[in-house]
This record gives sequence, structure tokens and C-alpha cells, in this order.
Amino acid sequence: MALCACSFPAIISCAASEPQKSTPFASHLLCGSDLGFHPLFKLNQVKKRPGGVYASLSGGAEYYAQRPATPLLDTINYPIHMKNLSVKELKQLADELRSDVIFNVSKTGGHLGSSLGVVELTVALHYVFNAPRDKILWDVGHQSYPHKILTGRRDKMHTMRQTNGLAGFTKRSESEYDCFGTGHSSTTISAGLGMAVGRDLKGERNHVVAVIGDGAMTAGQAYEAMNNAGYLDSDMIVILNDNKQVSLPTATLDGPIPPVGALSSALSRLQSNRPLRELREVAKGVTKQIGGPMHELAAKVDEYARGMISGSGSTLFEELGLYYIGPVDGHNIDDLVSILKEVKTTKTTGPVLIHVVTEKGRGYPYAERADDKYHGVVKFDPATGKQFKGSSVTQSYTTYFAEALIAEAEADKNIVAIHAAMGGGTGLNLFLRRFPQRCFDVGIAEQHAVTFAAGLACEGLKPFCAIYSSFMQRAYDQVVHDVDLQKLPVRFAMDRAGLVGADGPTHCGAFDVTFMACLPNMVVMAPSDEAELFHMVATAAAIDDRPSCFRYPRGNGIGVQLPTGNKGVPLEIGKGRVPIEGERVALLGYGTAVQSCLAAASLLASHGLKPTVADARFCKPLDHSLIRGLAKAHEVLITVEEGSIGGFGSHVAQFLALDALLDGKVKWRPLVLPDQYIDHGSPADQFAQAGLTPSHIAATVFNVLGQKREALQIMSARN
Amino acid sequence: MRCGYGLAALPGTDARFFSPETPFLRLPRTVHPTRIKFGSFKIRAKIDEARKEVSFYELLGISETGTLLEIKLAYKQLARKYHPDVSPLDRVEENTERFIRVQEAYETLSDPRRRALYDKDLALGLHLAFSARRRYQHDEDLEDRNEWRNRWQSQLSELKRKSMNRDAGGNMSWGARMRRQREELSKEL
Repeated sequence: MALCACSFPAIISCAASEPQKSTPFASHLLCGSDLGFHPLFKLNQVKKRPGGVYASLSGGAEYYAQRPATPLLDTINYPIHMKNLSVKELKQLADELRSDVIFNVSKTGGHLGSSLGVVELTVALHYVFNAPRDKILWDVGHQSYPHKILTGRRDKMHTMRQTNGLAGFTKRSESEYDCFGTGHSSTTISAGLGMAVGRDLKGERNHVVAVIGDGAMTAGQAYEAMNNAGYLDSDMIVILNDNKQVSLPTATLDGPIPPVGALSSALSRLQSNRPLRELREVAKGVTKQIGGPMHELAAKVDEYARGMISGSGSTLFEELGLYYIGPVDGHNIDDLVSILKEVKTTKTTGPVLIHVVTEKGRGYPYAERADDKYHGVVKFDPATGKQFKGSSVTQSYTTYFAEALIAEAEADKNIVAIHAAMGGGTGLNLFLRRFPQRCFDVGIAEQHAVTFAAGLACEGLKPFCAIYSSFMQRAYDQVVHDVDLQKLPVRFAMDRAGLVGADGPTHCGAFDVTFMACLPNMVVMAPSDEAELFHMVATAAAIDDRPSCFRYPRGNGIGVQLPTGNKGVPLEIGKGRVPIEGERVALLGYGTAVQSCLAAASLLASHGLKPTVADARFCKPLDHSLIRGLAKAHEVLITVEEGSIGGFGSHVAQFLALDALLDGKVKWRPLVLPDQYIDHGSPADQFAQAGLTPSHIAATVFNVLGQKREALQIMSARN
Repeated sequence: MRCGYGLAALPGTDARFFSPETPFLRLPRTVHPTRIKFGSFKIRAKIDEARKEVSFYELLGISETGTLLEIKLAYKQLARKYHPDVSPLDRVEENTERFIRVQEAYETLSDPRRRALYDKDLALGLHLAFSARRRYQHDEDLEDRNEWRNRWQSQLSELKRKSMNRDAGGNMSWGARMRRQREELSKEL
């Protein structure tokens, strides 16, 4: 809930008396003469805290430059150390925790806004409940930084999202306080219910608390879980963290955007419902007077009145069987602690939903003001909020995809784009700006997005579904049953294919080649560089009789020449290309693995080998003549892809076998992602662990040729 | 957002938040040749009064269904026209006034949420000055918080009351049965 921008003299007095509350400033909108207020106002505001030495603000900067002292937080290693604090000290702890989060993220990068919004909630939860016996689940997990700091991982926060460091989401193998691994959204109510039922079956008495955001509430799984929870009537607490941010990056390129979906307005109505209260008070007065046995009847009346008069949102939860409490100010520790204590001490509650209203990015002025609330940031300077974004000659594949799609859509007015609450991540915010009527954000609902696209395709439109490779897993049945079975021409643009770096295995797109290429009607392709991506977008736009998909990784392009006007040329379906002709050894890559093959080729060249490098372009339909030619003309054939087993390599194997090419003398070896989940880390580290670096490819070649010494040389030369 | 704004912004209660301009208008109006600070009561009074007549859309010269782009263009044009630095000396006061109004109009209309609120007010026939609304909103926010507290306190007491006889014999939900089972087991021990 956005607080107003207050700049009137009358307000300063009340703000100064409540130093914890920080009012956001839309300073870029206020006219020049007013700006005189701001630095002074800020300096007055952040100061007063009981005891302790604090760094002071220099004029102009709106936050500390040096990490402030955190005397109280220094005494907390685990939640049990918090149990003796007073509520006043909890407030101080929350402030210190907030500054700790900001300074940690400023050094490592990561998710900032969401963590800042739940600082008070985290403190209250750990104060009232007894983790790890009581289970606290964090949906998505990107807001779990304060939780990690309070649960024994403060000293490791500098390794956040790095190789062998803390994961950016909750992870069971990392700590016993992380009771469920998250990364994709909307899973905690389901998991929490499972834990509650398990507890009941074993006769235990611990509490289960599932924290879920309003964005995650737009996914169907949340309703499935609530429906089941209401039916089973097991004791559990669901905390709905409502900050009115449904999509990421919570803004378009031009400014803030109201949340997607009808649910958000229902939640807003809940927050602002006045007339209800008066009527209920009256009703209560009446029942008090009646008293005695009439109380039962009166209680029933009260319940019906509540259902009828309260905002329709709370009735929704009540209908599903969850007892609704709220809305509650999520930044007021007093309120949170008293509510949680009350609910904790009440026996036999059944499922309870506490509607907590927070502000994303709260407590860090730059985050509060930013359109994207500093959801995901790289390293930044805490005092000025400036992020240290590296500069690059090329842009990301995401941007290239958006530009390609815009160029196609200029030419063809039937092209529409669909994404699931990921306008920034898929680049479709660019498309939205250009074609506001043709871009659809459906909220976190990948399944609906795919079937929605299928419906659009029925009407003759050309839908492009931009969903991350790993989120496509959610919509698999819809892809098979609603799209592929009926042969509807829906185009799937799968970003973040392959290894993704700091986000780790929860976001890794390892399986999309496997699960897309086994579908009978799907055309499956992958570009090896950004120019190929432009051509493949054009190709997908041109394929109008069957579904198609293409995948591209996280990261920037390599710097090839782009087609003029960003308009690609449709490729011939089922035809690959051969960038380098050679002999004896053939490296057949799929997607950006071709770049690794090219690098491996130059490594091999220094050892006197001149391999052929081929780009398959299509996994389905395979370029049979290309593969036949490679198998017949070379001694060694190595296929490389950034995907799991069952993908490109397996399709090649199938073809080789059926075509009797394996009966000959060619030695074929596949290089795929290994049969394990690769942990988060830098992309280079991940590739090394997966065994897909150019050195690995070259070493494999030598191993197959029997030249073990050269293989070892190459592997030890890399570093 | 269907909320209490419509109720409380009636002319009668409006006066509670709105600075009454009549006392200030009685002060002699002096024309300053130099720039006037925004905090001055006189200018604020004049602005408040003037604002009541013209809607933000009319002020910017666009239709009520104008897009963000149109709003931006209109704002830029008018801002350039009325900025105190570029206005002729005799028109400075008037232009500053206009400039401030235009800027408020832009602030409100460019934020989709604020625009939605404003459109609603407009439909109800109110031209609430942005300044008044801001103050009003803050007070409302504080009131809201108290409102919320009362609400959840009553919800909590309700919850406690309900949980008393929740697991009475009649309740056959899975959870109730498990809880009864657990209670019986612990009684035996």
C-alpha cells in the first residue's frame, strides 16, 4: 500500500515523532522550490534511537555510507536469542536488520526490495514462534535474506548467490531453519499443509506458518492448496504478504503499473472497507444486550453479517475455509507480535489467513521511490543507491528477442505476446510500450498463459508465449494437450535455457529440449547467436500450421552483425549450417553450445587438429542429411548441448541408430548436462562443474581419439 | 477501488481538511515582482480557489481518455510556457500559479493509481485540490491503521470464541478428528 507523498509542514511533526515510519518522497515530481525541504527532513527523520552510536548522514545522500553499528543484531545468532527482547528492542532489531540486509546486498547483489518489505514480519515470526521446530515457509524465497541473517547465517551473507555460498532462496540442505526449498512461487501453502497434516498424523504440536505474497496468490496452486486446507481443517497459519506488487519488475518502462488481475482490487477493497465496522459494532452491542443463550444465535448473525458486508475478498478466503484476519500493518511490530501471539495461543484454530500489508523496498528511500522497488539489484552504493551495472558491448538475448518480436509485429498485426508476470525478465515490457494492446500479462499463471495462447491461436492470431524454460515446466500438460495435440500454432520463446548462474537449480532451464522435442508436432530450434535468434523469431512467426519453440540462454550476445531493421529472415525448417569445414572430427552443437564448440576448435587447432563445427539449428525436425554427411565423413562425432539427457543428443542417437550409421566406424559421443543439479554460482564455475567448457569438449575429442596425454594437457592448462 | 473517499469528501466534511481560504483572502494581496515561494498562504489560497473550477484534464488541454504520452506532451508544453524563469516579469505570479497547477495535474494523471482516484472524484463532481487530498490522504491513512487495528482485534476475539467449541463432537473434519485423537492420547499418558 503506497503511503502518500507528504511534504506539508503540518506533517513533519507527526513524522518526527514516529521515526520508524519513513514516508516516500516523489522528489523527482515536486517542483524546484519544494526541494529545499528534503535533505533536512531526512536528516531529522532517521536519527532517534535509544542508545548506540550511529553513523550520520552527509548532506545529499539519503542513506548511510558506512555500515552502521548493529549492537543488538550482533547478539542474535539464532532466533532463540531473541526471546528475551522487549517489543521496543525488537523495533531496534528490525532497523539494524534492515541496514544489515542493505549493506550485504550492496556488496553481493541479489533481491533487495522484497527482503526489506518483510523485515518486521521476519522479526515478529521468529520472536513468537520457535523455529526450527515450528515450521516457517517462505514462498519464492527471495525475501528470505532477513530470515537467513537471523538463523545463523549472518557471517555467510557475503557469499550470497556465489559458488559454494548461500543460496538466494530457501534450501533445505543449507540449514534446518529452511524447511522447504522454494524458487518458483505459490508452493508454500501446499507444502505447509503437507507439513501440518504430517504433524497431525504423528501427533506433534508444533506450528506451521506459510508466508505467501499477493503476486504468488495469482497462481492456481495457491487456491488448490487453500481449498484443500479448508477441507482438511488442519491447524496452520497462512500469512498473505500484500504489497500490491504482482508482476516483475513491478513496473513498465514508463512508470508504475497497477497490479494485474481482479484479485488485487479485491484485496484493496479489503484494506479500505469502512462502513463494515460501524455496523458490526452496532450488531455487537445488540448481542451483548441479548446475552445468554441468544449468544449462539447472535454469533451466527454476526458471522453472516461479516460475510455479507465485508469486502468480497475476505469472503473468498472464508469460503475456502480459512479464517481471515486483517488487514494488518506489516511494518508495525507491536501489531504483528500481538496478533501472532494470539493466534499461536489459540488452540484448534483450523487454517487461519493473516492479511499483512507491507511496502516493497521499505526503509531504503531509493528502493521506495524506484519503479521497480529495487527488486533485483547488482552491487550498489548504499549512500546513493547507484547500481554498478557493468557495461557491455552487446545486449542481452532477452532484449534482442523483444526487438525481434517488435519488428515482426510491425509487419504482421496478428502477432501478440503473452507472459506470466515477467515483463522485465522476458523483455516484453519493450513490446508493451510499443504495442500496449497486444501484450498480455496474465499474472503468475503459466498454465493459463499457454491455454490462453491456444485460444488466441484458434482465432487466427499469432501468439508468442515468452516463459522461462524452467517455468515452462509448470505448463507442460497445457503444452501437450492444449497446444501440441491439436496442432495449434503457438510459439514458445524460452528464455533462461541452460545454466543460469546465481539463481541456481531452481531457475535452471535444463529440461526444455527433452520435454519439447519428444512432442510429435512441435518444431524445436535454438539459435547459436543473436543474429540466429532474430531469424528464428521470424521463422517461428512464419510457422503457422503447427506449434514451435526456441530457446536462448541468459546472458549477452557475442557481437555478430544484426539483420537490418531487426527483421530476421525465416530459416528453412530442418536445415542446419556448417560454420567451419574440417576433417576427421566433427563437433555438432545445438544452440549457444556452438560457441563453445568454436572455442574448442581453436584449442584443438593448436594441437594440429582441424575439426568441423556444425550448428544443428533444429532439434526437430533434425537435419538428416547434415548428420549423415558428418557421420560418414568423420571419424569422431561429438554432439554438444546445454540440456539434460533425452534432448538433442538423444534424438541424434536415435537417428544414427535407425539410419544404420552406428554400424559403421564413426565414434559418436554426446555431451550433455550431468545427471545432477548444478548449484548456484558464477556461469564459468557452473560450466566447469557441468563439464561443458571448450576445454572439456576438446579433451573429450582427444580421449576418443586415444590421445590421453593431449587430453590431460588441455584439462590442466585451463584455470 | 471502492472505498471511503466518496463518503468523507462531501462538502460538509471537506472543510475539516481543506484550509479555509476566506480568512486569507481578506489580507491585502500584494503583487510581488519576484518569484513567489510555494509555501505562501496567499498563493495557496488563490490556487485552491482557482483549482476548484477547472479539472486537470481541461487544464492540460486533453480529453479525459488521454494516454500517458499525450499527458506528458501537454505537460511539457505547458511547463515550458509557464515556468517562472521564462515568463515576462509582469506575468510571473500568474504563471507560477499556472505552472504549479499544471505540475499537480501531471503528477496526478501520470500515476495510474492516482489518476484512477481522481477520475472517481471527478465523476462524483469534486475537484479536490491535490494538496488537500494529500493531507486528507495522510490523515486517512492514520485513520485506516486504527480502523484496521479495531477490525483485527475483533477478528481475533471472534477466532478465540469460535475455537472454543470447534472440535465439538459434531465436527467431522479430518483436522478435528486428528486433534481429538491427539487430545485423547495425551490424556491417557
